[in-house]
Amino acid sequence: MKVLFVCSGGMSSAIVVEALKKEAAKKGRELEVKAIGTNEVEQEISNGWSVCMVAPQIRHRFDQVKEQAVKVGVPCGQIPPQAYTPMGGPKLLQAMDDILN
Amino acid sequence: MGGFANWLDKKLSGPMARLAEQRHLQAVRDGVISALPFIIVGSFFLILAFPPVPEDWLIAEWAANNVTDILIPYRMTMFIMSLYIAFGIGYNLSKSYNLDPLSGAQMATAALLLTITPQVVEGVGYTLPMTPMGGNGLFVTMIVSILAVEILRFCKTKNITIKMPPQVPASVSRSFEALIPVAILIVSISLVTVALGVDLHKLVEKMVAPLVAAGDSYFGVMLPVFLITFFWSFGIHGVSIVGTIARPLWEVYLVENSAAVAEGASTLPHVAPETFFQWFVWIGGAGATLGLIISMLLFAKSKYSKTLGRTSAIPGLFNINEPIIFGAPIVLNPILIVPFIITPLVTASLSYFAVVLGFVTPTFTMPPWTLPAPIGAFLATGGDWNAVLLVLINIAISVIIYTPFFKIYDNKLLEQETNEEQNETVNA
Repeated sequence: MKVLFVCSGGMSSAIVVEALKKEAAKKGRELEVKAIGTNEVEQEISNGWSVCMVAPQIRHRFDQVKEQAVKVGVPCGQIPPQAYTPMGGPKLLQAMDDILN
Repeated sequence: MGGFANWLDKKLSGPMARLAEQRHLQAVRDGVISALPFIIVGSFFLILAFPPVPEDWLIAEWAANNVTDILIPYRMTMFIMSLYIAFGIGYNLSKSYNLDPLSGAQMATAALLLTITPQVVEGVGYTLPMTPMGGNGLFVTMIVSILAVEILRFCKTKNITIKMPPQVPASVSRSFEALIPVAILIVSISLVTVALGVDLHKLVEKMVAPLVAAGDSYFGVMLPVFLITFFWSFGIHGVSIVGTIARPLWEVYLVENSAAVAEGASTLPHVAPETFFQWFVWIGGAGATLGLIISMLLFAKSKYSKTLGRTSAIPGLFNINEPIIFGAPIVLNPILIVPFIITPLVTASLSYFAVVLGFVTPTFTMPPWTLPAPIGAFLATGGDWNAVLLVLINIAISVIIYTPFFKIYDNKLLEQETNEEQNETVNA
């Protein structure tokens, strides 16, 4: 499964990406996760992602990102603030599953 | 906290965040950001031209003898940044309207060039003055770039274009579609600048002069510092919002400072380009959170704080602090929000006066923002050791302000952890 993380510049979510990957690996699930900035969404979103997750600090741009994701049929949701830490793996995985269902 | 915070978020930070997402502001923001690589790389030639080494070193002598040549890459990039920004604004705004971005970018570039009067230099022929394409020209650039794209959009929505039959190749028909908007643009700007003889640059410069002065005043420095941590307190990316409004001003300061250095001036005109905030105030990220991380590494008792301090330390050193802002969390945490807002106000005040009183050189180059602060400050000031000292003092101040608040919070966490452990033993 391919997960796309969107934050302001793609820097901070790169750190959170590791947390999600680790948690998924624990549960025996294989994830490909990529972190990008908001200005890359338009180009990247149509490259076969299964889900798009938007970082909490850019929630004011969430509607824009979602619009682009919905256009190409990618489920899109926000990452809860409590999950957006290097230790937030379990909550991230939960949030991802919530968006997918 | 809950009710009041919700109210602030709904009534204040929400609407301001939406304002920053306004289409034209967003296009200006993305246009300015698109020019940053040229500004960052171009500004490094300033350091090369004025290397921070003793004057009798060979490299310093070489640089002194070749200043003009060494600065050519700088002149062609950072010095004329408005040319790049015009293209960037035109591209982004037309893209947001679903218009042909290349046409929009070219029209915006033409619009800027049309505001400048070419000069005849003997033996050279027609030459284009570069200053209006630099920091001075940024406000004119913003206005005419938007105007150019709006003309393009007007013609498109009103169907005022020359349509080619479908068998004509797309690239050809696109250039015909742009004919009428381009004609309107060229005629209307030429009418103002050539026929009526209005110097748009002088006019706009006069209009924005109070703004340029205000943004560089003590209050003008404190306001963005406060707003940025205020937004982050709700978990919203403060710089991405405040920067949308303030970055044009910040870039003007930076380019004017760098131009002064290139001219060999001994005093620089501005205190507060974005680099001032980046290297002296946002040490470890907005809120000067490197201080909080150091405090965690030194004093953490709870397991949670210990782990968080360790995992946030490396990103924090490189000014990425979302892990700690959301991890501690600082967001909506009444105990940690206090030092989060106070610390940068204190360090910004100290830095402002350190620069105004001449203890520290104003920043004039733009190193990449992910460098550790002492290195970034050293490079941004063209190699001023006092800038490094100021950064170290600011880090010490931030540790001192954060520590008592962190200890209170850490004790709460420790209490929770012991309670949980006791419950587990009871349950077991």
